[in-house]
Amino acid sequence: MKLLEYEAKQLFVKEGIRIPSGILVSKHEEILLHMDSIPGKAVVKAQVDVGGRGKAGGVLMATKDTVIDTARSLFNMTIKGVPVERVLIEERLDIQHEYYVSITIDRVKKQPVILFAETGGVDIEETARSGKGAVRSVTFTPLLQDIPGFLLRELCGDAPADIQKTVNRLYHVFRSRDALLAEINPLVTTPTGVYAADAKLIIDDNSLARQGIAVNRDLTDREREAEKHGFSFVELDGTIGVIGNGAGLTMSTLDLIEYYGGKAADFLDVGGGADSERVMHAVRLVAGVPSVKVIVVNLLGGITRCDEVARGIIAAGVMVPVIVRIAGTNAEEGQKLLAEKGYEMLDTMDHVVKKAVEVSG
Amino acid sequence: MIYGDKTTGIIVTGATGRQGEYHIGLMNEYARQIGGRGVVAGVTPKKGGQTVHGVSVYNTVKDAMREQDATAAVVFVPGGAAADSIMESADAGLELIVAITEHVPVHDTMKAIAYAEMQGCSVIGPNCPGLLSPGEVKMGIMPSGLFSRGNVGVISRSGTLTYEVVDELTRAGIGQSTVVGIGGDPVIGQTFSDVLDRFADDPETKAVVLIGEVGGNLEAEGARNTDVPLVAYIAGVSAPPDKRMGHAGAIVEGGESDARSKIAKLKKMDIPVASRPSEIPDLIRNLFRCHC
Repeated sequence: MKLLEYEAKQLFVKEGIRIPSGILVSKHEEILLHMDSIPGKAVVKAQVDVGGRGKAGGVLMATKDTVIDTARSLFNMTIKGVPVERVLIEERLDIQHEYYVSITIDRVKKQPVILFAETGGVDIEETARSGKGAVRSVTFTPLLQDIPGFLLRELCGDAPADIQKTVNRLYHVFRSRDALLAEINPLVTTPTGVYAADAKLIIDDNSLARQGIAVNRDLTDREREAEKHGFSFVELDGTIGVIGNGAGLTMSTLDLIEYYGGKAADFLDVGGGADSERVMHAVRLVAGVPSVKVIVVNLLGGITRCDEVARGIIAAGVMVPVIVRIAGTNAEEGQKLLAEKGYEMLDTMDHVVKKAVEVSG
Repeated sequence: MIYGDKTTGIIVTGATGRQGEYHIGLMNEYARQIGGRGVVAGVTPKKGGQTVHGVSVYNTVKDAMREQDATAAVVFVPGGAAADSIMESADAGLELIVAITEHVPVHDTMKAIAYAEMQGCSVIGPNCPGLLSPGEVKMGIMPSGLFSRGNVGVISRSGTLTYEVVDELTRAGIGQSTVVGIGGDPVIGQTFSDVLDRFADDPETKAVVLIGEVGGNLEAEGARNTDVPLVAYIAGVSAPPDKRMGHAGAIVEGGESDARSKIAKLKKMDIPVASRPSEIPDLIRNLFRCHC
């Protein structure tokens, strides 16, 4: 789950990373209550989870006199479709130099990878991810609690010692917060020390519970409802509802829909060993997506029993047509149950998807 | 055979949980059919002395190894404790650990794999269906009824999609040497590259089907470093960016982690890539025609 800048900064502070002083408001009127702590020169930043926020006009300069109007203009904005619900007002730093540091996971090496550049800024992230330009990187064993000194020196070059310390502190955040990404861009030097001017933090969805995060904000309401039933669910924008078992098979079903010229309305993986009740919830959930004209059920029973799947489809009793391909454990019994109720069934993945694309028009 | 055979003794950790118990039953049913050793011990802390489907349960992996001859572990221990079980199994001296568990925090996985590899131990998974060599050994949860013995290896990041492909192969009369589910997480132990190295040394394997998906770049990395004839399929051509498609590791995050980029890279290496699972048997046949 992605954290917003102000949330990430609160966690950075706990590891000893310095951040600019600031106030968070959810209405521009609230600023009046804080006028004493508003700096003469301020930066006003929309708190939205959107890449390229600065370029999209979500970060504005202000003075104590203009800060309320500036904040109001941000609250009236949507940035790449996302409404601005919170605004962070920070002191404007006297920046001497900007650096870039980002920590993520190298899947090939199975280790943390730390990227560092002598020049931070809005365009560096693309450069960094493409592996080009003046970006240095190091990887090292996840068994260590600190970045070894020699690697910090290799990584940070001639940057001041406080920059090296901050990079190591960011690694502490990365490790202790179960992060998939911890990033400071820019990391700045000023006459009063080193500051994280911006902050990015993405937490591993498999660690939300132990990080004390109860609700995954990255999910839509329907996706969250699906999660409660143990489904993996993603809303898409087509007309063919999809229910499968296993992420790979379900993804492959989506691809096949595209191959035959249709568009999927969702991705729903019921998970392993689903019983009739779970299948019923799945069918009802997908039928509830307004754009759905037809539902494809593509299940290959291993631990999942096809008779249970059939019972679930029948119990759901939805109005939209449900076209089924079930194979594997107890497939014959499942097919018999569905045939009695007049459901359309096809023998292969290709056939069932082709049929659904036809029905969806 | 590449990770084990009929003589491999298996320890199951998380043996008394619902999943562990169920799959000890299935693994040993398969072992009986083919005359293999199968699961020889179970491990669950504080449950030592119990039995599951006639298999003795011990408190620790070391206890189990003192009394039973085993070289591999299959881990069913749930999320937060799975990494500990991987490290315990490596520490006890097992050569191979197959981690079935889903939802393992990725930082735990990184540490556990680093620790296990330091002890010279190979980890398959986590978040995987395990492996099956038809007629030899099953370590994990794959439905053995779909498999047939032959000369094609399969490596996959997925579970049911693997069964779909195995089913297609079997129906087309193409048997499998070993099928390995390497797992759907961003960090996994054995990668395509590691498994391909094993297949390269396996006289029974003449070609390998590589089943990948969106996220990361392990497919190309594996394909680039092998001489084994390959056929590939990549799931997720229609996956939108920045959305996790069921698997923790299946997410398009810029760069070249999307399906089209992966397919293009593989094709550039002259590897045939199926656009549908049902095309895979024909691509394998073509491959054998070219290589005979």
